Amino acid sequence: MSNRIVIDPVTRIEGHLRIEAVVENGVVKDAFSAGTMVRGIEKILKGRDPRDAWAFTERVCGVCTTVHALASCRSVEDALGITVPKNAELVRNLMFCAQYVQDHVVHFYHLHALDWVDVVSMLKADPVATSKLAQSLSPWPKSNPGHFAAVQKRLKSFVESGQLGIFANGYWGHKAYKLPPEVNLLAVSHYLDALEWQKELVKIHAIFGGKNPHPNYLVGGVPCSFNLEELNAINTERLTHVGSLINDAITFVEQVYIPDLLAIASFYKDWGAIGGGLQNYLAYGDLPTRSYGDPSSFLLPRGAILNRNLNEIHEVNGKDANEIKEYISHSWYQYSGGDGVGLHPFKGETEFNYTGPKPPYEQLDVGGKYSWLKTPRWKDHAMEVGPLSRMLVAYAKGNTDVKELVGVVLKKLDVPVTALFSTLGRTAARGVETQVVAHWMKGFFDDLITNLKNGETKTFNPIRWEPDTWPATAEGVGMTEAPRGALAHWISIKDRVIDNYQLVVPSTWNASPRDAKGQRSAYEEALIGTPVANVEQPVEILRTIHSFDPCIACAVHLYDPEGKQVHQIQFS
Amino acid sequence: MTLDRSVSSKSRILILGIGNTLLGDEGVGVAVIDHLKTLGNIPGDVELLDGGTGSMVLLEPMREARRMILVDATADGSPPGTIHRLVPRFSTDFPPSLTAHDIGLRDLLDTFYLLGETPEVVLYAISIRFPQEINFGLSAEAAAAVPRVADQIRLELGF
Repeated sequence: MSNRIVIDPVTRIEGHLRIEAVVENGVVKDAFSAGTMVRGIEKILKGRDPRDAWAFTERVCGVCTTVHALASCRSVEDALGITVPKNAELVRNLMFCAQYVQDHVVHFYHLHALDWVDVVSMLKADPVATSKLAQSLSPWPKSNPGHFAAVQKRLKSFVESGQLGIFANGYWGHKAYKLPPEVNLLAVSHYLDALEWQKELVKIHAIFGGKNPHPNYLVGGVPCSFNLEELNAINTERLTHVGSLINDAITFVEQVYIPDLLAIASFYKDWGAIGGGLQNYLAYGDLPTRSYGDPSSFLLPRGAILNRNLNEIHEVNGKDANEIKEYISHSWYQYSGGDGVGLHPFKGETEFNYTGPKPPYEQLDVGGKYSWLKTPRWKDHAMEVGPLSRMLVAYAKGNTDVKELVGVVLKKLDVPVTALFSTLGRTAARGVETQVVAHWMKGFFDDLITNLKNGETKTFNPIRWEPDTWPATAEGVGMTEAPRGALAHWISIKDRVIDNYQLVVPSTWNASPRDAKGQRSAYEEALIGTPVANVEQPVEILRTIHSFDPCIACAVHLYDPEGKQVHQIQFS
Repeated sequence: MTLDRSVSSKSRILILGIGNTLLGDEGVGVAVIDHLKTLGNIPGDVELLDGGTGSMVLLEPMREARRMILVDATADGSPPGTIHRLVPRFSTDFPPSLTAHDIGLRDLLDTFYLLGETPEVVLYAISIRFPQEINFGLSAEAAAAVPRVADQIRLELGF
């Protein structure tokens, strides 16, 4: 028997992604991923001062705002040949790390855990047994029976008051949920702890970026004034605060997130053989220890892996016209040179051409155009991006921190290295990355303090700030890694203003439709072979899709008055 | 979020405008904050926050306020520029059509209420045309609503 399942929306956070999966005899045979990311940012940016672009691009997303600002600044710096001072690189790294740790932890507890954790089952848990379990896993102090009893009571009264919150939209009681009630209670308790903790951590962005959300960035450096003694500058007191937030982050990750991840994963080891999908992985890399212009110094290395061959890492060049190209064969756009060609982002075009059905509709016409996402390819290969790709490239390049922690996780779960190529592997890789990044953040902080103590306070390179120092035309690319994968901005500057601006965001790589050759992108491929026990409650599909941390928020998505999402957006 | 707050935690009044300024009138909530800043004369216990498209990062200022005035756009079918003042008790009381503007607003509100000890919340919802185009700047109707909402807030808070 064949069923077609439509899940729309897929994202637990508001976002706009639709999955159509064909299920035969309880297994996904084919899948189609459609996003309504319409990119029109260049329409707003064209003709503006390139030095202001970061402030606009930062607002395309509520989740990874800082990385868009970073990519934007770097694209302008690349175009104009600006190198930022050492302290600016360190501050950018600190902002980057703080975002990763916060975003990964929020993803795990808020967006992904409920695919594995049954919150209703938690109400049956024994608080005493939960306490024993918690204390056997971690020294985290909030672990006495009274604490867990209070959490149970709090959630019960929350639901009884008529609120749904995290209880909404779940497939509670589905047989795919395998955790004992006590593990469920432990996870929900830590979900609440995570929410409280994350709101403190992001203060790092306010301290270095002046405000949050949407902290300030600066082409040529960072807008930070360091003076250890000065009241209104970033002084000793504020830096001490940053230091303690970093230490708290390390504690939270090591005592709560990682133990929970391992405890939950140990009940779902079968997912180490499900959801692998594509065999190609791409990472632009980030966290320079010398400068952004020297990718060999990145702690998260740059590279591409083909056919899961970890013995060969391919070089990646964002400017090479033959490497990154975007196709629109199945996307609602048209190219002036025909819809079958791929365009490098420097030559990118964004001409809308909606040919889909008029909403509301039952099914997309997947033979034709069926998504607002373009389809990026690297040397015409479909690539997965995200924490798994970054950790695989780092592992293959011999990063000792990553290799060691991956080894520990595989050993604790008692799964083979091939389990990395899976839904479970993707979720585990995010945990591994969080822990190494939290420690690297401490290292960057220590380096910054050392520099400041040595009197090195420069944070801005004024060379080429003034437009009259710029060439008539310039092109640049700013590459980084959003928490959910490779992100780059391409800018063309002409007569001192923006002439073209293109973003290729992580979810375009992962969630895009097929390319001209019919090759599936990451989500579509990862779903093939996924078991679906009950087509009415396809929790298994959500597990794999959520393992990518879908966020189509760089998208433009709108809701109709009933709160349902609509697929057509009007443009003038 | 400012760093040095002369007024201690839980005694502040937060005026939070949210919305995507890249989507035309969806940014009307942020425009109200900008307008209030221009008017000046803000009492020491009142914090004006451009929430933009921020999502979970807004939990901290929201949790630290004793009273919160949220300003957002809504696509409720009313004529553009219509202003509604609502007093929601739970996340489910918010209009479903509060515009999305890439903010995880529903998640933010769910967790805000889940964590408990929520401050008193008042919502000013400004009706906008739907859907909005990708554009920086407000329509005449939304722009006209901005000073009206700002004045109502000032009246409500007595400044």
